[in-house]
Amino acid sequence: MSTSDMIKMALRNLWKRKLRTFLTILGVVIGTASIVVMVSIGIGMNESFQQQVEQWGSLQVINVSAAGGGMVSVSNSGSSRNEKQATEITASTIEEFKKIAGVEAATPVMSEYLYFVCGKYMADASVKGIDPASMEAMGYKVEQGRFLEEGDNNTLVFGADVVTGFYNPKLSWEMRYNSPPPEVDVLNDKVMITTDWNYGTRHADKNLKPIKVDVVGILPSGGETGYAVFMPIKALEQIKQDQQEYEEKQSGTKNVNRVKKGVYQNAMVKVASMEEVQQVQDVIKEMGFQAYSLTDELETMKETTKMLRMMLGAIGAISLIVAAIGITNTMVMAIYERTREIGVMKVIGASLADIKKLFLTEAAFIGFAGGFLGIIISLGSSKIVNIIAVRTNSDMLSSIPLWLCGASLVFATFIGIAAGYLPAKRAMKLSALSAIKTE
Amino acid sequence: MAENVIKIRNVKKVYRMGQEKISAVNNISLNIAYGEICCLLGKSGSGKSTLLNLIAGLEKPTKGSIIFNKRHIERMNEDQLAKFRQQYVGFVFQSYNLLSTLTALENVTLPLIFRKVPAAERNKKAMQMLEAVGLSERANHKPAQMSGGQQQRVSIARAFINSPQVVFADEPTGNLDTKTTYEMMDLITALAQKNKQTLVIVTHDLEIAEYANRIIHISDGKIEKIQHNTNKKKATVEGGNQI
Repeated sequence: MSTSDMIKMALRNLWKRKLRTFLTILGVVIGTASIVVMVSIGIGMNESFQQQVEQWGSLQVINVSAAGGGMVSVSNSGSSRNEKQATEITASTIEEFKKIAGVEAATPVMSEYLYFVCGKYMADASVKGIDPASMEAMGYKVEQGRFLEEGDNNTLVFGADVVTGFYNPKLSWEMRYNSPPPEVDVLNDKVMITTDWNYGTRHADKNLKPIKVDVVGILPSGGETGYAVFMPIKALEQIKQDQQEYEEKQSGTKNVNRVKKGVYQNAMVKVASMEEVQQVQDVIKEMGFQAYSLTDELETMKETTKMLRMMLGAIGAISLIVAAIGITNTMVMAIYERTREIGVMKVIGASLADIKKLFLTEAAFIGFAGGFLGIIISLGSSKIVNIIAVRTNSDMLSSIPLWLCGASLVFATFIGIAAGYLPAKRAMKLSALSAIKTE
Repeated sequence: MAENVIKIRNVKKVYRMGQEKISAVNNISLNIAYGEICCLLGKSGSGKSTLLNLIAGLEKPTKGSIIFNKRHIERMNEDQLAKFRQQYVGFVFQSYNLLSTLTALENVTLPLIFRKVPAAERNKKAMQMLEAVGLSERANHKPAQMSGGQQQRVSIARAFINSPQVVFADEPTGNLDTKTTYEMMDLITALAQKNKQTLVIVTHDLEIAEYANRIIHISDGKIEKIQHNTNKKKATVEGGNQI
């Protein structure tokens, strides 16, 4: 029997028992819809986690730190895993990071808490020193101006919240809070940087001269970068060196923990795709560094809700199993009714395979049609779930990716075939003679 | 006599009814020749239908062999039997046994569908067959929309469409009135004779047996006597323009 004849005949048989076929399909529709909606809520939850985490920073950036962090590094004593412990990050380490497959950019990182002067106002923030060429690659966004670029020296990019944080150092704390934030235009006004937190007051250290800097860009408010200031690492290092030298001169003793030039404790590594982050992170850990990324955070969040998502999936699965039993029932009934017909077909030359395939085709079609309608209904209910979720401010957003549609259609069809297998086998085994004799 | 298409050798069929064993067919040997019209005549329960089922491969004999064109039917498995029926055998049943979801035309094409004959070819052939049984204008009717006689005509067309070597008819007129019975018998025998096909009819009706070359009287699972029918009834109606 050819495939097209088989399909035609199967459809006709289903059509003859419209109501029963419809009810059976309805079962599959409900089963498919519930599994798709449940899974989609799980997916939606993960997506909203990801959006949350992305607000804290790029998911593709790994923060690396040298073990020990400048302190006496006898930590991790019992740990056999970290046999190799890297205690510093240098230019050659960065080059090694860049060679790891999947890495797009890498930069050493250092930070210093510094003060900014703009006219009579001051602000303070933790300044992050990075390789200026890598700033754009690290996935930051500038709201105004530009990123740090290759060749920049005493150049700054400000977080928007640092800009609004300028205050008049001459005022008392109380007055600072009560007065509106001063209007400073850091992009155009003269801005200086200093290590002296008393600058501008009568306690200011006259020997500490502020350095003139150029502010070239502003990062958006909030999130990871709102309160950050970025600066080329070489320039920041120079400030640090000068400060250390000045302190040694002041106290007259040598600082044993003095930070050497070109030696860093931290680095950032940007990975081309989120999927490779864990892999790259593992390689870096192998090298003896500590590595942390926001994907760790995301994984933890996903892990904590895994149970919930599995339960949602199980609820859907149960209704699909019920639907599968419905298909089996319908097909068994059909065999009882069509015993005679099956016998006649056998007598006039239908092969065993033909009979089996005919019943499997019918069952598969029930599964397919149910799956198809189920997906349409799920797309609708997904919209409704999202509307409710937005109104109630809940995380239970539903998201149906295309692969889920495809997979559930295939799965529903498969369920149909699986459910029809036993009845089909039974039909096949009916003896032609006893089939004809049935009155 | 001409060569035999079917050779039956010492065939026995025993049914078990609780403790009791019933021999429905008891040691029958019989040859059926090419192109012969052969009638198995007997009362209800005589074993004639069982014999037909054995010859057609619908049942396996308890003992003995049935040879169809040198092939042992009793040794075939289900799939081989399906192929065998597709190629060599046509069936006409007492209760027509048309598929209710299919039209007359589709019912006639069914054996060709199982043989994977392309739609255009099989529909053409089926139309010719329906014309031959005089039902071409009913081609698109469903069985439920036709009378018993018409349904049996469709079933006859279905039996002959494959040009089988042998057509088996089990009480083909059992559900029909006298007039239709004769029409039907004329039709079947005319079709069979036209292409020199072998026809095996099972009946309890002497009138029908009159259509055969040979009447095999069966009683209690045994051949009682074989009667050569010299004054065989001629087909009174034209059997149509068979292919």
